[in-house]
Amino acid sequence: MILLLAFLLPLLSIPFLCLINRESKRKPAAIVAIFSILDLILLLYVAPEVLFQGKYVVSYYWMPMLGAPLTLFVDGISLSLAVITLLLIISSVVFSSDYMEESGSLWQFYALMALLTVGLVGVFITANLMIFYFCWEFMLIPTYFIIGGWGYRESYRAAFKFFVFTHAGAVAVLLGIGAIYMLTGTLDIFQAKDLLATAPQDFLKWIFIAFTLGFAVKMAIVPLHMWLPDAHAEAPAPMSALLSGVIIEAGAYAILRISLGTVFPLISDITVSNQILYALSILGVISAFYGSMTALAENDIKRIVAYSSISHMGYALFGLSLYPSVEGIVGAVLHLVNHAASKGLLFLNAGTIMKQTGIRDIREMGGLASKMPLTAFSTTIASFSIAGIPSLACFISEFLMFMGGFQVGGGDSFYYATTASMIIATVFSLAYALRLIWRVFLESSKIEEAQDPSLIMSIPMVFLSLIVILLGIWSGPLIHLISSAGIS
Amino acid sequence: MMGLYDTLTPSIILFVFALLTVPVLRIIRQHKRMYGSLCILWVLTIFFMVTVAVARIWINYYASAEENPFSQAFLISKNESHLSSSLLIDSVSTYMAVVYLTVGLISVLYGVLALRDENRLSERYLALMLMVLGSIIAATFSGDLLTLFIFWEASAAGSCLLIIHKKNPESIEACFKYLVMIIMASGFIVYGLSMIYGLTGSLNFWTVREALMQLPDKRLLIIAFAFVACGYAIETAIVPFHMWLPDAYTAASASTSAFLSAIVDQASYYVFMRILIYILTPPVILNWPLALAIFSALTMTIGNLFALAQTNVKRMISYVCVADIGYNLIAITSVTPLGVMGNLFFFFVGGMTTALAFMAVGILNALGLEKLDDFSGIGRKFPMTSLSLIIAVCSFSGIPPFAGFMSKYMVFTAAIEGGMGWLAVIGVLNSLLQTGYLLRLVHYMYARPMRRKFDETVKEPRTLLIPVYALGVLIVIIGIYPSIVLSMIYPAAQQLALLLP
Repeated sequence: MILLLAFLLPLLSIPFLCLINRESKRKPAAIVAIFSILDLILLLYVAPEVLFQGKYVVSYYWMPMLGAPLTLFVDGISLSLAVITLLLIISSVVFSSDYMEESGSLWQFYALMALLTVGLVGVFITANLMIFYFCWEFMLIPTYFIIGGWGYRESYRAAFKFFVFTHAGAVAVLLGIGAIYMLTGTLDIFQAKDLLATAPQDFLKWIFIAFTLGFAVKMAIVPLHMWLPDAHAEAPAPMSALLSGVIIEAGAYAILRISLGTVFPLISDITVSNQILYALSILGVISAFYGSMTALAENDIKRIVAYSSISHMGYALFGLSLYPSVEGIVGAVLHLVNHAASKGLLFLNAGTIMKQTGIRDIREMGGLASKMPLTAFSTTIASFSIAGIPSLACFISEFLMFMGGFQVGGGDSFYYATTASMIIATVFSLAYALRLIWRVFLESSKIEEAQDPSLIMSIPMVFLSLIVILLGIWSGPLIHLISSAGIS
Repeated sequence: MMGLYDTLTPSIILFVFALLTVPVLRIIRQHKRMYGSLCILWVLTIFFMVTVAVARIWINYYASAEENPFSQAFLISKNESHLSSSLLIDSVSTYMAVVYLTVGLISVLYGVLALRDENRLSERYLALMLMVLGSIIAATFSGDLLTLFIFWEASAAGSCLLIIHKKNPESIEACFKYLVMIIMASGFIVYGLSMIYGLTGSLNFWTVREALMQLPDKRLLIIAFAFVACGYAIETAIVPFHMWLPDAYTAASASTSAFLSAIVDQASYYVFMRILIYILTPPVILNWPLALAIFSALTMTIGNLFALAQTNVKRMISYVCVADIGYNLIAITSVTPLGVMGNLFFFFVGGMTTALAFMAVGILNALGLEKLDDFSGIGRKFPMTSLSLIIAVCSFSGIPPFAGFMSKYMVFTAAIEGGMGWLAVIGVLNSLLQTGYLLRLVHYMYARPMRRKFDETVKEPRTLLIPVYALGVLIVIIGIYPSIVLSMIYPAAQQLALLLP
């Protein structure tokens, strides 16, 4: 019952949103934030069971005729991702209560946020492909309208691009789901995994490709990344934080859970499975390089951060390609969590800078450090974490992945090459992170007036900064939680 | 066992009360203020009686469905069944009756409300709608090819009059086009039927089926099949016979288009499915799936490509209807239990979605908005209507949790299951194309500035939105909890095994 409630709770906030005063600016944010906090508490309530039993599963009547009961499921990986998702949603909602104050029809914005929460959390806490797909696609509609209605410049164009690209990917996923149902008669990923063993090998390869292709679009792996820079740059800052922090990571999670976790182990031909992993690894390296080098060349503050997301999804994909190495997978999942916190924070910072100064070209900024010390502090934390500086979040996960890479490389020297390339890519990450800080905060001042944001906007920034630092110095429990899932 | 007249009660009620509608409405017309409400009351009364009659059939059928899954009722005695007009009650026809009643009630109510607003509500129009509904329900329950043909043609003639009701040049032209097409189609059908009668000595579904099983030489059957299929293809508007549909649906008033797309269109798919799967069961009797698959691919692709090119929104929705026919045919070609389920689900959901789209577009048309350009920026001025149009768009595009998703999922999975993976891929690509142009409509509604200036006083018609939202809510509920419909169609999927050897 707890998980079902956690799944549907955000919906309950919508009637409240309709009832309150339509003109009020802060109340709707408070309602959505309170419901998200309740949701978080519900999820944490099942955490002990996950830690001791490894997973927590409940099942309800839904569509037995199509082999789809309403199965909700949490293990270490889903729990950690769902928790970081909710933390990020709470931060974004609190942040937007002041950030969005100039926009109209805010209660609609928050209602869409609540709908988005259902989809986002649902993707992580189900073991049924049909519910997974429901939630996967359910994210699209609120995201489209949030980007379009409250974004910058040609926002609806960016939203259109986002919608069409991700829907096209989702359709490939749908074909994969249909094929699994046809072969096994069930949509539960664990049952399907057992039943698929007798399926024709050739078919499995195509199912894997369909799934991975669809998920890679959402993950924005080069060359399927075209939607990301526009969508992330034109969305309002809280939405960018969620897009970059959670939505694209849902793609990585899905590759891990469905492509690699369900279909891949049954591909018995070693050469085919090696080729697949090689391809994932190479795509990861390409994305990492492409993203970080483009970020180095961009001048728009949000586009820099957006391209950095492409680069970091490359890291995650590289980590996943080390399957079934424990270090690689745990590192990849940990990287998703760390990246969510760091990139969410960085987007909130970028939004703050844009709101306080009114410009988004970093060449026109400079010297903001003395005027906006708090923003400077949290931006530095976030971008250093993104760059992989030790003692901040992303360092640990990157380190784990590289360790895994070298371990796997012991058996297959191909991975020495990709791991080495990944390590070189981190240099570029550091370069764009330093460039960002230097251009925005340190260079000689070009802006007359600027000041730190209001208290309400500062709270989520400080909160996320603390999380990034905490994850960097004390990630033991999280690693323990993730490895308890035992996906390999 | 149900008798002939028991099974015909829903239709008989509809026919009788359709005839009574004209004098009754004449009388209540004198109460000018109460006219609209009394009309609605009248419609609700009729539908209540029909619902009771259908429920009776439903209960009686399911009481003995185990031992008698395909229950027949004859006009003459059973011994001469090859001559007798007969009715067939099975899980499919009872389900279809429920579908027609649900969607029919909503679209008739919409028609009453819309025409009352325009002061054009005539007794004749309402009576015709009820007549068409009655003959469609009778056609659904019919158990031989001739009864089916007669009731089917009756409904087609009624549809003609519904289309022409607007009485402007476009609707007259569209009606003429439709009339020519259906007359040609009925010629084809009758010719094909005469050959089938010659081959088998009967027109009863089961007798024909059994006779065809024994048939050594199938060449003549192929010709007969080609004629019948061609005839029904014209009435279903399968490409290349689709030209009349966009014209007719664009020219007719919104309530007519909604009614026709939700009832008559779905009924024509039903007829197609009944004949192809239940009589000409492949591969025992005739191996038609590949031929139909090609037409299916053609229909979706052409429908979507033409829809992409339209600037008139109502015409665009009409072409979406054509594309929907293609998706339906995919499910028919698979001939699997899942395909049958997908098909029956599509009859309901596809009908509701097109009806919803036509109703919402009709509200906007009444305000003078017709072209895609006119729709610029209406999202803020007419929020409720735009929201209902978004529900339709999402359901068409197959985005969960709207019901259109489940139907598309079942249809595509059935195609893969039936060994037509390529057709599923074409269908999926088409679905993407569809999402693209429908999203363009949303883009116009929300992203662009208003082009037309409206007075503050111009508001959405609240009462008209009630039937629209009834459909919208149904679509969402069925989308979230499809078991409501799935449990009704599951028996049909299981009974398919009785037909396949």
